[in-house]
Amino acid sequence: MMNELENPVQKLWQCQPVEGTKMSLDVIRKRAAKFERRILWRNVREYVASLIAAVLLGSFLIRAHDLLSRITFGLFLAGMVWIVVQLHRKGSMKKLPVGVDTLTSMRFYRAELERQREVVSSVWSWYLAPLVPGFLVYTVGYAIRFPRPAAWAGLLLLDAIVAGMFYLIWKLNMRAARCLKHMIDELNGAAQ
Amino acid sequence: MAAVESTQDELYQRAASTYGAALERLARAYEADAEIRRDLLQEIHIGLWRSFESFEGRCSERTWIYRVAHNVAASHVLNQRRVRSQALVGLEELENLPDASSGPQAADRSQALDRLLRLIQRLKPLDRHVILSYLEGLDAASIAEITGLSAGNVATKIHRIKNLLARQFQQGGHDDE
Repeated sequence: MMNELENPVQKLWQCQPVEGTKMSLDVIRKRAAKFERRILWRNVREYVASLIAAVLLGSFLIRAHDLLSRITFGLFLAGMVWIVVQLHRKGSMKKLPVGVDTLTSMRFYRAELERQREVVSSVWSWYLAPLVPGFLVYTVGYAIRFPRPAAWAGLLLLDAIVAGMFYLIWKLNMRAARCLKHMIDELNGAAQ
Repeated sequence: MAAVESTQDELYQRAASTYGAALERLARAYEADAEIRRDLLQEIHIGLWRSFESFEGRCSERTWIYRVAHNVAASHVLNQRRVRSQALVGLEELENLPDASSGPQAADRSQALDRLLRLIQRLKPLDRHVILSYLEGLDAASIAEITGLSAGNVATKIHRIKNLLARQFQQGGHDDE
């Protein structure tokens, strides 16, 4: 039921000029189809990128001559497969059921944000740590194969760069977690 | 399949013609930037059309339309929160705003409308939904059905809204719902 317009502010609100935007069914169908295609291609791109990386690491693994190299590429491959599985399991956003009331949708978004926060907060354990064994074995193997100070210095530099990148990824994810925490706190107040 | 599509199309067309203006006002309350607002409005229309595919008539069409539109808009606000940093507040916090010096009668209407929009755009999604439903003239029972809040909670919020609007726009009305 509608109220009588008892309040001049209601009148002010309802009498504001509008553009009278209209969308034809044809345009709506095209936009909806375009959106679905975009989602499909995004998923395809992610899977193709993972597949290319897996094929590359697999070929390195097969062509490797010594045991340490094989172990290195095997560990990298296992780490990457683990990351892709975790990304798929944790990263995909659930869909809000259609036509639910606002309170339910707010609770849904809060749960989603909490899940995302958990994902970025634990980036070390599921995204960075699985790559560490591969790097460690690579470092040891390279140091054994090239026992020269110059090679070791280069190796140290490479490890420092990798460690720096890990630290940067971790810091960025911690910042994202803080931002998500802020949004969750806002929604906590909103969904009481 | 064709019958479902036809019902979906019919429902959407009826919703767009009946609630088109209300949906535009809703988009305006959720997005200040005109360019992004156009995208949001299109997103709402597309969301509405898609939603009618699963509409089973368990609630009224009006309730469904407002729920879907607000959910699309709230999702937009949450996504925008990642790039914009202004804090959203609840009705309780807005009650502490200093009283405005002039009302819609005295001031230019468009200025008053801008002020009203700025006030609404600062609100958290649920409170924003309640104030918009109130401004659209919906009664407390309808607002409770759309938002999922209890009737008592809606009544409290409407009381706050009335006081807030009265203080900000100098009408002097402090009546309870």
